Amino acid sequence: MNSSFATFSDFLAMSGYGKYVWPCFLLGFGVVILNAWLASRSLAAAKLEARRRLEMNP
Amino acid sequence: MNWTWFHRLASPPHVYAFAQRWTRWFGGAAALAMLIALYGGLLLAPPDYQQKDAFRMVYVHAPGAWLSLMIYTTMAVAAAVGLIWRMKVAHAAAAACAPVGAWFTVVALGTGMLWGKPMWGAYWVWDPRLTSELVLLFLYLGYMGLRAGIEDPAKADKASAVLAVVGVVNVPIIKFSVEWWNSLHQTPTVMQMGKPKMDGDMLWPLLLMFVAFALYFVAVLLTRLRAELLRRERNASWIREVVA
Repeated sequence: MNSSFATFSDFLAMSGYGKYVWPCFLLGFGVVILNAWLASRSLAAAKLEARRRLEMNP
Repeated sequence: MNWTWFHRLASPPHVYAFAQRWTRWFGGAAALAMLIALYGGLLLAPPDYQQKDAFRMVYVHAPGAWLSLMIYTTMAVAAAVGLIWRMKVAHAAAAACAPVGAWFTVVALGTGMLWGKPMWGAYWVWDPRLTSELVLLFLYLGYMGLRAGIEDPAKADKASAVLAVVGVVNVPIIKFSVEWWNSLHQTPTVMQMGKPKMDGDMLWPLLLMFVAFALYFVAVLLTRLRAELLRRERNASWIREVVA
């Protein structure tokens, strides 16, 4: 399997569309990572809240 | 027909345990599929004969836009189940869908704008596809705003579920907007009857990315659902066992 780019700078340039292609991937996968993080943070906070409540009312 | 599985879905401890067990598997499979699809889409797929390498934006834009619709449909179905069978877990699932769906609508709109500029010459046009996708974002925001604005959880569940169900009419409007009206946006390439209009080397990373995004959504939904259940079932005895 061969890459469709001859050099790394060709890859970065994306045939002149790099300034649209890279922000596009950054936005998409930034949101993917952000949502995974937000979901785990929400679960951790809910667990902490539940633990505190149990400690207060054993 | 055996309905045990449906009754189990109504049991918060059962759903919590299921979510706890399966999240990492869905998350792991999603990450692996995403990496392979990214490699295939960014490096192996040949450039398009017209759009050159700009077409690679499809690997983010199409799965993101599809997910924004899939999540809304899931949310509306969960809300309807919650309304019809008064199932709290279903309302919790609908609530867990909304923020993720809103974010992926932002992805669909944002990546679409980045693709629109070099191809159409404008970041935004008031085109049926773009406008109906923007309405989808407002539906998600309206759903979340409504939930946040009603203090009584049961009333919040009911009111927001009605909005989610009514709003589902927008999903086919988005899907078929490119066929019903004159649109700058292209008609479907992959999701159509018959053979996809795309070369195999370009197609497999895209199909794999769809699978990856779906698996990812399940993992995030299960995580958010666990958090929702912990908050809603604060006085239930099973909570003690799962957070100890």
